[in-house]
Amino acid sequence: MTNVEPVSEPPSWLRRLVIGRNPKRTLVRMVVWVVAVVLISRFVLLPIRVQGISMMPTYKPGSVNFVNCVAYLRHPPQRGDVVGIKLAGRHVMYMKRVIGLPGETITFHDGHVFINGELLDEPYLKFPCNWEHEPEQIDQNEYYVVGDNRSMDFYDHEQGRSKRDRIVGRILL
Amino acid sequence: MRLWLVRIGLGAGLLILSLYLWRFAFPSPEHVIRKQLSALARLACIAPDEASLVKLAKSQRLASFFTRDAEVTVDFPGRFPQSITGRDELMQVALTARTGLKKLKVEFLDLEVKVGPDGQSGDAHFTVKADVPGEGTPQVEELEAHLLRVDGEWLIQHVQNVRTLR
Repeated sequence: MTNVEPVSEPPSWLRRLVIGRNPKRTLVRMVVWVVAVVLISRFVLLPIRVQGISMMPTYKPGSVNFVNCVAYLRHPPQRGDVVGIKLAGRHVMYMKRVIGLPGETITFHDGHVFINGELLDEPYLKFPCNWEHEPEQIDQNEYYVVGDNRSMDFYDHEQGRSKRDRIVGRILL
Repeated sequence: MRLWLVRIGLGAGLLILSLYLWRFAFPSPEHVIRKQLSALARLACIAPDEASLVKLAKSQRLASFFTRDAEVTVDFPGRFPQSITGRDELMQVALTARTGLKKLKVEFLDLEVKVGPDGQSGDAHFTVKADVPGEGTPQVEELEAHLLRVDGEWLIQHVQNVRTLR
């Protein structure tokens, strides 16, 4: 008498490619990846799409970037940092550059920025600017933020003092 | 053992269903305000080729979301502060906007609602995003609204913009 045992065929290469040799392990791996991506994109690196021209030419409209939400866990925002500033929440944010720190006095004269009376070197500015604005004291826990495109009219350009808790994080790229 | 598990599963399912039905039948004031504001955002949108009668009806409906003495004050940098008072003026402004604009998409984002301890008033904080065709960038503004419960209905009494950057 001969016993014949069914021989299971090895999974096809396509199935192996799509779901791997061990489907259970693949499923676990997928769940871990999905959870990790959701957590990172919500709490660590917030994906954003740039709209508007106020950060031209540094950031062009339509470009994709990330806000690093953990950038300021160990230190406060620094001058020159490009940051995301929330409005009512994080669905819409302003993208601006920090130029004034808490306690400083900021002035715009003939398109140049003066911090406590001293000219601020801004190599990232590429467009001409003729802004004039009287000295403004920045309160503690506030930062003065502005875009890089200062060829726009002063009042058409959204800029000013932002509370620290509105700054979501630093722009990554 | 299995029957026991099935009973627990069924019980949990029934509990979730009851909670859902309870919330549907007796929604919380926060939920009602959220629904109301979402409906307002939808109504503020302008579809292309809207008939004149539809424009008028929608403007009237939009004004009905506000109290009779409602006040809308907005102060955008570089522009004159604007104040709209009363339902009639609101309706006129809405109608003028609907007549002047061919298309408009309005969204209320990041809506946060707080109801007062009396349960008769509430505050909403949100970002309004308005997409006007022809203008490359959508307009965004942070707004605060104060609502009152009038005859069982939540109506907006006051709206003002919040200066994100001062």
